[in-house]
Amino acid sequence: MSAELTAVLGVGQTKYSSTRGDVSIAGLCREAAYRALEDACLDWKEIDAVVIGKAPDFFEGVMMPELYLAEALGAVGKPILRVHTAGSVGGSTALVAASLIQSRVHEKVLTIGFEKQSESNATWALSMPQPFSVSINAGAGGYFSPIMRQYMSRSGAPELIGCMVAFKDRQHALKNPYAHLHQNDLTFEEVVDSPMLWNPIRYSETCPSSDGACAMVLGNEASGDRAENPVAWVHGTAMRSESNNFPGRDEVNPLASRQCAADVFKQAGITNPLKEIDAVEIYVPFSWYEPMWLESLGFAELDHGWRMVEDGTTSLSGGELPVNCSGGVLSSNPIGASGMIRFAEAALQVRGMAGDHQVDGAKKSFGHAYGGGAQYFAMWIVGAEKP
Amino acid sequence: MSELEKPLRAELTVEYPFTRTTGKVIGAFMTGLREKRLFGIKRSDGSVLVPPLEYDPVSSEPLTEMVEVSQSGVVETWTWIDPPRPQSPWDDPHALALIRLDGTDTSMLHAVLVGSRSEMRTGMRVTAQWKEERVGHIADLEGFIQETEEVHS
Repeated sequence: MSAELTAVLGVGQTKYSSTRGDVSIAGLCREAAYRALEDACLDWKEIDAVVIGKAPDFFEGVMMPELYLAEALGAVGKPILRVHTAGSVGGSTALVAASLIQSRVHEKVLTIGFEKQSESNATWALSMPQPFSVSINAGAGGYFSPIMRQYMSRSGAPELIGCMVAFKDRQHALKNPYAHLHQNDLTFEEVVDSPMLWNPIRYSETCPSSDGACAMVLGNEASGDRAENPVAWVHGTAMRSESNNFPGRDEVNPLASRQCAADVFKQAGITNPLKEIDAVEIYVPFSWYEPMWLESLGFAELDHGWRMVEDGTTSLSGGELPVNCSGGVLSSNPIGASGMIRFAEAALQVRGMAGDHQVDGAKKSFGHAYGGGAQYFAMWIVGAEKP
Repeated sequence: MSELEKPLRAELTVEYPFTRTTGKVIGAFMTGLREKRLFGIKRSDGSVLVPPLEYDPVSSEPLTEMVEVSQSGVVETWTWIDPPRPQSPWDDPHALALIRLDGTDTSMLHAVLVGSRSEMRTGMRVTAQWKEERVGHIADLEGFIQETEEVHS
């Protein structure tokens, strides 16, 4: 028996910002969930189950917050499940929700990812001291920068490619009302001149710290057929993991990433991603990850991803493969929601509902998230038509 | 086993400050405590929840109508704590009880401060006792004491 066809019926996001001091965690999640239900033209009563994801509990200091969110998310008397896969959690949460539909366990599932970074310090939470080891307090930037330098050395990419990615994503963000960073007057020179934090990563090439939530309502084929607004049909879903340290590991282009991409494209029947995909939302918390993932995912030849940045291929302004039209993680990063935002923005593109950052006529789009030391991967492909 | 053969063990203390954003409903309850006032929240059927919840526990609808409630109520069930554990906020033996305040529809857990277990009974009437210095915390409410006839009349 084949899997049930699954559709994205609704998307809801909060305006991402550094501090949402006006709402509790419950209030923040409720806002996104309510908007997703409104978009799906459904009532709380019509939802069968809730799947929620967020990054480590240490990020807010609320242990197992899902346990107190049942009322806020309309989950009273229904299953509520929590997913955690580090930074990729927003993507894997959506995929767990999709699997409940694909397996015909449920007909309509609400899924949500959130983070309230203003309540703590994510860098601290990621760098807790451990007995018998020296904490180098590298943070995520310090961890990934040597890997980016390895990519630069391998591919021969010019030094300013990262700045071009950051500037492009901030320009895209100006077209997305939900984006955290709206830097109207930012110039490319200002990106280049911003302080070098972890060479090659400058301040302007890093993601912000955001409060926010993103939700989606997923439904089975019948509910997709009945929906009042356009829906996005799920064409492929894949998740992979790997250890962050084993002999022969390719940190620049992890095996799990390549295998996950191969699986999801195979499911969707896609053999030439660059030609067949119209819009891409990939998880780029540091600028250099755009060309690195473009290669790993198969959108670019090995060592050539940076050329797609340099020649404008990934720009919403006329590029062949617009990447992160929403502004991406570089413009909004409520960590636990960031992966789901990628998946939701991919869905908005093929629904034709992405507003000013819409790719004209997008029929198939790709959503991506990664987490840990580039160890956990979640990807989906959605289309305007049924698979 | 020699010292060298023993697996290593080390203490790890994790300590870090967090911020908690309460939102309007929980925030109003906390601010009320500072002012020696108790607030609940009214549901669409008129029932009142104390402490208040942001969303209806049955319908999930947002709850917004804060109402000030009585500081006196009835002990629904209780247990006697003697001696209190070192971490307890109370030094002396006391009851921990579910207390339903007059006119409300849920009970809240708090201490009943009486001298001995023999003074406790289910159904007894109690009234709030506040600390002198209050900061907007549940511990601003020191506990509940037996209601005197004067208060009752």
